[in-house]
Amino acid sequence: MTTALLVLTLASTLAVGAWLGAWFDRLAPLLYGGRAAGPLAPLRAGAAALLRPRIETEAPDRMNARLAPGWYLALAAAGLSVVPFAPGAALIETPVGIVVWGSCEALTIVAVFLHGWSPNAPFPLIGAYRYAAIGLPVMLPSMFVLIAAALPAESLSFTAIVESQREVWNIVRQPLGLPLFLIVGLTLTLRGPMDFADAADIAGGTSAEDSGPGRALWQGARLAMLVSFSAVAATTFLGGPLGPALPGPVWLWIKTAAIMALTVAVGHGVARTTPSRMLTILWVVLLPLSFVHLLVSGVLAL
Amino acid sequence: MTLTIVLLGAAALIGIGLYGALSQQSFVMLMMGLELMLNGALLAIIGLWSLALGGMPEGQLLAIIVMAVMAVEMSIGFALIVAVYRKRQADMTEALGTLKG
Amino acid sequence: MIDALVILLVLFAAWTGWRVFRVDSMIRATFSLMLSFISVGAIGVLLSAPYIGVATVFMMAVEMMVMGIFMVMFMMNPAGLNPMMMVHQHKLSIVAGVLAALGLGAAVLTTTLPTDPVPGETDVVSDLGHELLGPSMLIFETAGVTLLATMIGAVVLSSRRGRYGQADEGSRPPGLDPGGPPAGRQPEGEGGHHHHHHHHGGH
Repeated sequence: MTTALLVLTLASTLAVGAWLGAWFDRLAPLLYGGRAAGPLAPLRAGAAALLRPRIETEAPDRMNARLAPGWYLALAAAGLSVVPFAPGAALIETPVGIVVWGSCEALTIVAVFLHGWSPNAPFPLIGAYRYAAIGLPVMLPSMFVLIAAALPAESLSFTAIVESQREVWNIVRQPLGLPLFLIVGLTLTLRGPMDFADAADIAGGTSAEDSGPGRALWQGARLAMLVSFSAVAATTFLGGPLGPALPGPVWLWIKTAAIMALTVAVGHGVARTTPSRMLTILWVVLLPLSFVHLLVSGVLAL
Repeated sequence: MTLTIVLLGAAALIGIGLYGALSQQSFVMLMMGLELMLNGALLAIIGLWSLALGGMPEGQLLAIIVMAVMAVEMSIGFALIVAVYRKRQADMTEALGTLKG
Repeated sequence: MIDALVILLVLFAAWTGWRVFRVDSMIRATFSLMLSFISVGAIGVLLSAPYIGVATVFMMAVEMMVMGIFMVMFMMNPAGLNPMMMVHQHKLSIVAGVLAALGLGAAVLTTTLPTDPVPGETDVVSDLGHELLGPSMLIFETAGVTLLATMIGAVVLSSRRGRYGQADEGSRPPGLDPGGPPAGRQPEGEGGHHHHHHHHGGH
């Protein structure tokens, strides 16, 4: 019974969250002097994409071309499944929650790579290749940030991480954590400065040869991953379902929506640099920074 | 019964990995053979620890060591491939008649 | 139920392992190997080793993506979706592989295997943590130092700059046949830096 309820909650969180994320994407231009669109615009765009015909490239890897959006969506769902909607109520209650989420992150890079590789076309492959090269070093700060959050909880499970934030949220204890994790989120959702996969400078990258239902599902999966990432970030840094008066899930939804808005705003506002310069930034600045973060968090957790 | 099948699977993985490591011409494919053998070892360790050791924590430790070995094998292997490629512009074992300079 | 799943996953791990050397494209081979590792990780999760199992999935997803990057970087048929078969000493390898599998299989079948499963109430993850930072601290630290040495070694080996000059100085591609002239495009005139023996009056 509880399981069925949690499955339903997870599915509706992903669906409503994806729509909200798509709307945020259309509101974000307001911040930077552009024009916004209404809440129905993403639904219209999705319906229109579903009706368009499919493009067939020459000699593609059909299985992976069809499956890649599905993998992406499944990874978003798997990542959300270890997040507790109320204290102690995750769909999959596991002692190694952050490792499960880490696996979802790593497999997301694989899914995006397969999405770009499978059409057997130049732009998608370029997108896939440079995304994989950028995505792998991003995994390191991600792991350090999550391990730092696990230190005060003395556990790898998200439920214990939520419990450890009853007194004070991790965003106060570990101020560097959320900014570093935001970079991970931008990478996982192919956004703004970390969008080396589907960027406009290579004609849409891994999605360049996508059309029709496949494209709609891929964009939907990107938004679902935004929801999952935001829920994980809200759980790790903002106390997840903890909060006064309102029930747990509502607090988690509010915090998730706030992180989604932040991610979308940063994604629209920060420019993308060249892959080689980004690689240098990742290895030379962000990796040592995440070491410092882990060290400080470890000392504070003693 | 389960343990026997798990161990037979591990034996099969090691056999396939050995075949790959010996037969492949490309360095990267050769390393996949080595990885597959380590995968077999990992499977055997997990199976034995879980079904025949009564939860002894040292068994899990051995699995962690195998993972560390995989990481070492990968990074040194790829570093060697890059070094060989810089010197010989080759990614096939045959291209290295000699290891001298 | 769990036993049936484990057996299916063992079969899947062996089959995907076999596919690694049978598929056309190296990217397919890479991700086939990843599936083999993921099934072993899933077996770990089912057989009450959640940390080992999930960490295997995480590590192998990253490792195989690195493999994929190197495949695209070095292969003659980059992301190739063309058929290929690049093997040597094929018969010997088959014999060695089959012998190894049969030998190990015979060893498994002739041994009386003990039965002592993990007790249900064990907290295996915290057990592992206490073991790593307790009695087996030295082993754990040794592994850590080994990984550090690996990192340094990998950087030194793969760096282009070196104590004795550039690593690719005087680099020539191998010949198409043994001892033959270097393969690949020959730089024309003074364009290539390898051709310092050309002497033209004007320079």
